[in-house]
Amino acid sequence: MTQSSSYPPAAEVSHISAEPLDLVGLLAGAHHPGAGAVVLFSGEVRNSNKGLAVDFLEYEAYIPLATQLIKEILEEARGKWQLHIAIAQHRVGKVAVGDTAVIVITASAHRSEAYAANRYIIDRIKHEAPIWKCEHYADGSQEWGNNCNCHSVTGDVSKHIYETQ
Amino acid sequence: MKIHVYAKLKDYFQPEFELLETIGNTDELRAVLVKMNGGADELLSSCRFAVEEGFIDKDFKLKAHDTVVIIPPSSGG
Repeated sequence: MTQSSSYPPAAEVSHISAEPLDLVGLLAGAHHPGAGAVVLFSGEVRNSNKGLAVDFLEYEAYIPLATQLIKEILEEARGKWQLHIAIAQHRVGKVAVGDTAVIVITASAHRSEAYAANRYIIDRIKHEAPIWKCEHYADGSQEWGNNCNCHSVTGDVSKHIYETQ
Repeated sequence: MKIHVYAKLKDYFQPEFELLETIGNTDELRAVLVKMNGGADELLSSCRFAVEEGFIDKDFKLKAHDTVVIIPPSSGG
């Protein structure tokens, strides 16, 4: 892939989008001369959940706080892993099976930092950002799903346990 | 006090409504909401609260004109 002449700083990418996410466009702009590694995570809508066929998902967010929280997570990751690029964008609204619900892109000098930072960012978004999905099943039923349940272990709704810990 | 709720909390409350009671903190707010709909008790115990686009803790002093957003556990991604 060719190097982009204009790198999109995270501040220019809206963190919450009601429009389909531009996976290819974001990746095309996520190159930096100091980065030897670019990692992209695309969280996509699966066609089944708990043994039921999924028709689509509907995401909702408390946008001001979700935006602020994602911005803070990216800033922290950028400093911790010396990232050249850190981008995260999450969908709201109806998202079809196979479509992208969330994108995280990280770019750093070496791959270990880009991988670690990417995992850190998506884990924190999933646990902490005020974003919720409602599963709409093919049988017509619906269910708000898979809430973070860390508080049952930590005893604090603000404290989380991450898979990488 | 205006209340906004999201996600599964909308199974128990209107998305936006107003409370006229004097409510001093989030513990008192939670108790009022449980009285309104006891089925939401367990979910409310796992929710965070926000005022003016920032999370608040149980020591935050709520005021009558505040708009309080009640935030269930996240399920994004």
